[in-house]
Amino acid sequence: MFSVKPMKPTFKCYLPPVQTDVKKNIEPPIKKLEPKLLPGEIVVNEVNFVRKCISAESNQDDLWGKLICTNFKVSFIPQEAPPKQKSQLSHLLLGEHDIPLTCLEQVVTVNDTKGKKKVLGSNQKLKFNPTELILYCKDLRIIRFCFDEAGPESARKVCLAIAHYSHPADLQLLFGFEYQGRRYHESKGERVNGSTPRGGMQTPIFDRPSDWDREIKRTGASEWRVCSVNESYAVSPSLPEYIVVPVSLADQDLKQFSTFFTDRRIPLWCWNHPNGSALVRMACVVDPIQQRKIEQRIFTAITKSHPQRSEVIRSELDKCLPNIQDIQSAFVKVRQICVLDPFEESEERWLSSIDNSRWLEYVRAFLKHAADIVYYMEGKNVSVILQEEEDRDLNCVVSSLVQLMLDPHYRSLIGFQSLVQKEWVMAGHRFLDRCNHLKKNYKEESPLFMLFLDCVWQMMNQYPATFEFTEAYLTVLSDSMWIPLFSTFLFSSSKQRAQHLMDFAKNKAIPQGEDQVVYFPPVWEWSQQFSIKDQTLFNNPMYVGKGAACVQNGEVKTFRRTKKTYSSTLRGTATLMRNGLKEGEETLVRRGSLMSELKSDFSAVKDESPSERFFRDWFSRPADQQGLLIPLSMPSHVALWKLFFLRWVPEACITRGGSITAYHKLSQLVDEIEILQSQLRQYKGPSPGNTPLPSPSGPPSDQRRMYFKASSPDDPPTPPDFLTSSFPFTPSGNLCRRSVYGTPISKFLNGARIWLSTETLANDTV
Amino acid sequence: MEKSGSVDSLGSKRSSSRQPSVDSLSSTSTSRSDRSGQAKPPSAMSSDSVSTSAEFSPELRVKPKASAKQVIRESDKEEPQLLPNETVQDMAQDITYFCPFTGALRGTVTITNYRLFFKCMDREPTFVLDLPLGVVSRVEKIGSASSRGDVSYGLVCKDMRNLRFAHKQLEDTLRKSIFEVLMKFAFPVSNGLQIFAFEYGQVFPENGWKVYDAVSEYKRQGIPNESWRITKVNDHYELCDTYPSTLAVPVNIPDEELKRVAAFRAKGRIPVLSWIHPESQATVTRCSQPMVGVNGKRSKEDEKYLQAIMDANAQSHKLFIFDARPSVNAAANKMKGGGYESEDAYQNAELVFLDIHNIHVMRESLRKLKDVVYPNIEDSHWLSNLESTHWLEHIKLILAGALRIADKVESGKTSVVVHCSDGWDRTAQLTSLSMLMLDSYYRTIRGFEVLLEKEWLSFGHRFQLRIGHGDKNHTDADRSPVFIQFIDCVWQLTRQFPAAFEFNEYFLVTILDHLYSCLFGTFLCNSEQQRLKEEIPKRTVSLWSYINSQLEEFTNPLYVNYSNHVLFPVVSLRHLELWVGYYIRWNPRMRPQEPVHQRHKELLAKRAELQKRVDELQREVTNRSASSSSERAGSPTRSITPVQTFV
Repeated sequence: MFSVKPMKPTFKCYLPPVQTDVKKNIEPPIKKLEPKLLPGEIVVNEVNFVRKCISAESNQDDLWGKLICTNFKVSFIPQEAPPKQKSQLSHLLLGEHDIPLTCLEQVVTVNDTKGKKKVLGSNQKLKFNPTELILYCKDLRIIRFCFDEAGPESARKVCLAIAHYSHPADLQLLFGFEYQGRRYHESKGERVNGSTPRGGMQTPIFDRPSDWDREIKRTGASEWRVCSVNESYAVSPSLPEYIVVPVSLADQDLKQFSTFFTDRRIPLWCWNHPNGSALVRMACVVDPIQQRKIEQRIFTAITKSHPQRSEVIRSELDKCLPNIQDIQSAFVKVRQICVLDPFEESEERWLSSIDNSRWLEYVRAFLKHAADIVYYMEGKNVSVILQEEEDRDLNCVVSSLVQLMLDPHYRSLIGFQSLVQKEWVMAGHRFLDRCNHLKKNYKEESPLFMLFLDCVWQMMNQYPATFEFTEAYLTVLSDSMWIPLFSTFLFSSSKQRAQHLMDFAKNKAIPQGEDQVVYFPPVWEWSQQFSIKDQTLFNNPMYVGKGAACVQNGEVKTFRRTKKTYSSTLRGTATLMRNGLKEGEETLVRRGSLMSELKSDFSAVKDESPSERFFRDWFSRPADQQGLLIPLSMPSHVALWKLFFLRWVPEACITRGGSITAYHKLSQLVDEIEILQSQLRQYKGPSPGNTPLPSPSGPPSDQRRMYFKASSPDDPPTPPDFLTSSFPFTPSGNLCRRSVYGTPISKFLNGARIWLSTETLANDTV
Repeated sequence: MEKSGSVDSLGSKRSSSRQPSVDSLSSTSTSRSDRSGQAKPPSAMSSDSVSTSAEFSPELRVKPKASAKQVIRESDKEEPQLLPNETVQDMAQDITYFCPFTGALRGTVTITNYRLFFKCMDREPTFVLDLPLGVVSRVEKIGSASSRGDVSYGLVCKDMRNLRFAHKQLEDTLRKSIFEVLMKFAFPVSNGLQIFAFEYGQVFPENGWKVYDAVSEYKRQGIPNESWRITKVNDHYELCDTYPSTLAVPVNIPDEELKRVAAFRAKGRIPVLSWIHPESQATVTRCSQPMVGVNGKRSKEDEKYLQAIMDANAQSHKLFIFDARPSVNAAANKMKGGGYESEDAYQNAELVFLDIHNIHVMRESLRKLKDVVYPNIEDSHWLSNLESTHWLEHIKLILAGALRIADKVESGKTSVVVHCSDGWDRTAQLTSLSMLMLDSYYRTIRGFEVLLEKEWLSFGHRFQLRIGHGDKNHTDADRSPVFIQFIDCVWQLTRQFPAAFEFNEYFLVTILDHLYSCLFGTFLCNSEQQRLKEEIPKRTVSLWSYINSQLEEFTNPLYVNYSNHVLFPVVSLRHLELWVGYYIRWNPRMRPQEPVHQRHKELLAKRAELQKRVDELQREVTNRSASSSSERAGSPTRSITPVQTFV
């Protein structure tokens, strides 16, 4: 696909090229180990005879090969490639042993004999020759290389190069710019007239009025309009060029209001409920004197846009949800417990450690808060404004969760991607700072998007048939944040993107007027990363989408979503309880209701609040897969996302087990169904009456939707080895903590014996 | 399914009160299972009652013939559907039930010789609470006379709930409160009455008492063979009154010697075969502790016996003795004459302690768990609170022990001996769990029934004492949730291997519900001998009769029968979870997880439908081509892609 020829270096290497003295020490045969390079990728430094640790227990599986640092990745090329594990996700741009430099969290060098250890940053010196290099990755992997047989000087240089190149001085130095520029020019021939419209791109990007128009029509938000007041970022630098506002507000008003908001952010429309209530997000008003007046005018305009002129409720997220530092520190703790701490040590107090990290508590708080807002929009038919200081962090999480719960469209793959595009990318979530791609300001780092994905996973875990995509998709999406080849997660605002891409286009001689999406594609172009076959891992076989079948009283019926089925969940609750704004705010502000009740054996009976009644009513009814979806937010029903947090942990990997075995079975079944459907179509197809039909067959294999194909009679008597709880990932070589010994089984068994509680022995009579 | 009178009524009943069978893959946790988009007729009961009553389902689905033709809708009546030989004992109106979730409800209480039935008509939908009396552990009168003159009663249940009722002070002081009546029938054993299982006369198409036959189970394992024989030495329970009559022992130990071994083992529970590996011949054997005592007594016969067990397996020259207890507890038992095998006396044997605690610790742990989950879960520190109950740590230790046993047998090809003190609690947990990991037969529905009948019932797990059927002595120190723990461990395995078990969660919940309900005779008595004496198989119905007569309800559609699949679960708190579908099911906020199984069933139905249509078209085409061009008969139109239709 891409030229494997090494490119001529286009800029100066940080370090001189590798010295060849390494090769003298070791006898042939030396296989020539060539890295697979992408267009624009150059080798910065390399060292031979490196040992990559594969398992923490023993050296016997370790791989020997060459360690290479390029301007894009750390690459390891094994001398003898081990047989590739079957049916494992393979990345088109990254090899099995490659790590993008942007994915590196920390580069640590160790000298065992001297007992020294140093965390390397950019432009640093290293006074000892490392015997070992440990790479802590943002996708939670820990990769270890040993230099016992490598040239000490070259090893040192490679380590320094890796550290240096993983701390780029400027955003434009991220490899994506080089790569997409080359790619643009190399694929020019394939484009007609030098430009392609967003071919095959179904995910709306929301960078043009038509995308917003479609969304307004889809949700029936007739009292809202697309406004271009921010074209060329004339009003706010962090808002998109096109936004949706109440029709009652003129461009002139908006310009005037904008001056009072943080970062001049005019309130943004997110979504409309079929009952007419709207979800709006907004920043804070800076000027306390003007605050009341401005807010009142905004509220009035939103009320006017409601068909019943229903009131507006404001939810101040800063006041009731954890802030970005809280979230960051919770994530750091949960990561520590899951991957850094030795398995057995963390096993002992596992539950309370997870509890104390507060990660799940935060996940729950966001889900719960989003559900409360759903109650207002669905149950009380009022419009809701989400307010946050800057409207660029917590608002992104809550607004997208509310929409996922209320609108089944966003639970399809395309819908979900458009939601991320709309509420995160376009709304100006600071991906650059929150991801800390440049490793400059650690105070701004916060895994908000990760938190959002975890919340989505919780919903998926509770309602496995309601999402078109799988948890493997969510995990792959989270990994894509650390591959700097796509525009989605690289920038902090629309304007920043536009500016950088304009500079980039100029530098790379891309003609003006060329669509950014074409020359710097978003992550949604999955075929850049994965084969069609691997992409089928994203498909949830259980999904009840439009046209999916369901069984009623033993008969197969086609599930057809009637127009606005999702409003049917209203069921007359709309007119229920319309208390004033005060009551509403009270409930919303209540932070995750951390209050606890006194309990006795027979606890007192308490009265239900209207929202509790609303939720109880909803939970007592059968859920409509294509309707409103409210996740359970009881602490017992929010779980740790094991595929994400534990996929690399060898001790936690269930061989021939895990939920993948159910997915395997279901996929095979759906594949059989699709074969049958295809056969039926062929029978029913336009065939002349008398001639015998050609024997029907299944759909061509590249069109099959399921990763696992219908089984054949000679299936093995045991489940295939690749089915593990980590599938489609593998812990092998991806989590090598230092100094852990013993076999997995003996390890946890020893651990099991440690636990000897304070229970008395005197009672052991039985 | 076979047709018989009772099944017919079962079917007709279902269509009136329950969803058709296709939809009712309902476990307690998935009682609202039909959530695939189609509208379900609103249940006549409130959510609380759905989880309460519908799950003790025989009385709902298996209706006595007499009432089968009744047209009155159940929800319009104040009385429950009665089971065969169930009779109303008392009825009272204006009773308040304090539901911890929805508030105080006023309604009617009916007490029968089997259940308590509460119905509140004021609510829409009607609220029903249907509770088998066997579930009640104790009844408490609370705050005898409040200011309003109400008398209030608390029912502590064995299945993780507490119920509270109240009624007005009775004017007629001679009249008994309905809860006094309840106490009489809830504790029939203490009141000289009969447990309801002896009266329940339902006939099922299958006889569950025939599920297990010791000889054929040993035969399935290949016993007798050249190393193992079946002995009838315990035919009249003279060797050991808590063991079954059929035992498998090493060939070269004559019955006379078995008696001398029995003298050295607590309660005469000698090492006997539980399971043998079909290839390596490594075995799992079980027994009680040796009577070593403080003086370190030895028994030549016992030592020779264990040597014989080791010799029966040619693959290994070692024998592992797994003592389930913590080593300190095992040592403490020496004071009472018990103890453990010393490695000096038993050459080639290695002794391992598995650190599993005794029944009292487990009882206390479950009590703490109930405090944490019922009625409501506190919003903060859930996992820390859960950790403080130690419940999951106990589960982990049991599973870890079973895994070590399975690993020794499978990977080490070494025979193991398992014991605790008496060998009927922790030993039963360990042998049955390791057998589940080793032998896929036990992971089928019938295989699991066999496993329970064999390792638990026939080997004398003392169900009567541990559960206290019909006994009001709720503080009895012999009560303990040993069996619940075992079922919990099985559930943990099903979570890690969702396609490896033929049965579903509902099957496990049903077993636990009828552990207490006293509707079936299965879990009555303490040993095979007692069961024979009480003529349990003659006088009661087996739980397996009920279950095997409607297998579809209990089947896991994701099941793949991999015959050589040995399960090695990850025994880590990272993967062990609280079984919310059992312990937290009473909370109406606990909507069950969207059942994967349900969706799978729908897909299966769809495939069957499509297959049918394809086959029809196929036939049509074949016929047409045969008639139009006979010379081409036999042409390969049948080359249609074969689609596997195994389930």
